[in-house]
Amino acid sequence: MTDTTMADMKPSTPSGLVHPVGEVNATGASIHAKGLTKVFGSGENAFHALGPIDLDIKPGEFVSIIGPSGCGKSTTMLLVTGLEPPSAGSVEIDGKPLTAPISEIGIVFQDHLLLDFRTAINNVMLQQEIRGLDKAKFRERADALFARLGLTGAENRYPWQLSGGMRQRVSIARALVHDPSMLLMDEPFGALDAITRTQIRHDLEMLWLETRKTVLFITHSIEEAVGLSDRVLVMSKSPGTIVEEIVIDLPRPRPAHLGEYPEFSKYAERIYRIFEKLGVYKF
Amino acid sequence: MAPAQSGTRARLMAAFGGSYLSSVLIGTVAVLLLLGAWEIALRFFEVPIWLAPKPSDFLARLYTDRVLIAGDAFWTSLTIVEGFALGVVVAIPLALAIVSVGALERGLYPVIVFLNIMPKTVIGPILIIWFGIGPLVAALIVFLMSFFPVLVDSMSGFRLVDRRLFYISRSMGASSWQTFWKVRLPAAMPHIFSGMKIGVVKAVEGVIIAEFIASNKGLGFMIVRASAFMDMTLMFSGLVAAAIVALIFNGAMSMIGQWLMPWSRH
Repeated sequence: MTDTTMADMKPSTPSGLVHPVGEVNATGASIHAKGLTKVFGSGENAFHALGPIDLDIKPGEFVSIIGPSGCGKSTTMLLVTGLEPPSAGSVEIDGKPLTAPISEIGIVFQDHLLLDFRTAINNVMLQQEIRGLDKAKFRERADALFARLGLTGAENRYPWQLSGGMRQRVSIARALVHDPSMLLMDEPFGALDAITRTQIRHDLEMLWLETRKTVLFITHSIEEAVGLSDRVLVMSKSPGTIVEEIVIDLPRPRPAHLGEYPEFSKYAERIYRIFEKLGVYKF
Repeated sequence: MAPAQSGTRARLMAAFGGSYLSSVLIGTVAVLLLLGAWEIALRFFEVPIWLAPKPSDFLARLYTDRVLIAGDAFWTSLTIVEGFALGVVVAIPLALAIVSVGALERGLYPVIVFLNIMPKTVIGPILIIWFGIGPLVAALIVFLMSFFPVLVDSMSGFRLVDRRLFYISRSMGASSWQTFWKVRLPAAMPHIFSGMKIGVVKAVEGVIIAEFIASNKGLGFMIVRASAFMDMTLMFSGLVAAAIVALIFNGAMSMIGQWLMPWSRH
């Protein structure tokens, strides 16, 4: 089984479907942040990593944050989940102020971060073990997700027996198996080859169209940001602030070759221009 | 990848088993050649048995005195197991404590490093006064010898766990206890295990010396007693038995490692 077999799978969402933001019954949470700031260390050694930034993400929206390395985009993700406390500012999830880490979330990092000593399915079932939920019911959900992500047959294999793309798929299954209201992805496809990346990008989009979780997608790839998002937030170099917001008005699901849309290159160019202006690129 | 998997696996196993077999074969031939040369040289120069026994002498003695030697080998093995197990049981929680609490790292760890530099056998006479001559003192010396490598590698194991794994476990709402049992300890296991491998080597090395000075049972004690009687043959038989015990422990350790962590071969 390789990643390309995913192309044979018929998505259960009819193709050519267009979802304007927020129109479908979204199951995601809303994220509202104000004046979010992160400073690491104190005194002389203090490093102002992020902010202040404001975020206003609607339920079920797919939002990307794009910016140069070290601009604080990953920090943003940790702050809105409460996994790291902000130095200043506040976060509201579904209108409720965030005071402690929330567990209604799924996280995917650039590295799969699967546990070597657990099989693929048991890596996903870790969610059930820790949350103390019903095993049989959870296993059903995990199996369905495995089928949906083209992982059927890989259940009892260990991470080292899987390809890079499959490991990342297992990692996505682990982030979704408990039906979270928010999916947070930190450069999830950064370590994959270009072909796998395009395929997995499409599979993620299809999955999102069905479930309509709120997704916060951190990336430094313009193609991924425009190819997946409803909205792209462009971040400056550190301390990261949001310098521009671009609404991506392209039909879904989006094609493998984004160049099919003339609008795509316009969006991409806009982001390049912003980066040039910020001094991210020096040509 | 799926259909090829079993084939790949079989080939891997064959390669692994094959190289293992050939290395055993070459090793055996080398040992036999050495023993043969030894036997011929001693016969040729007519070296008396009380000065240096021939392999045929001490291997025959290993067989005729097998009950005595096996009994002492058993005590030696038991001492290794006791001392080593105590070392592991103390070292792993202590490593976690030192890594988690900054004050322990600054205060306790230097003391442990200092204690480790001290020659352990010197502590033997002190322990004899406290506990009397016997396998207990030997086990305590084995503990002191095998404890430190397990501690050091467990510390780096606990430290090197990817921080982002803790974000993931917290996103699942895991308690710190769950995070430790389900994520941190198993993730640190390869490091802990490599420390345990070194610890076992130290233990089988240390146990004979510990029995020389502080025990009234075991192969070390048997060799000292044979030395008092100028029984060269039995001393050499004891040496061979000690080597066999060491081989068994090292082999068992590698096998447990491969069984617990099949991915570590890759």
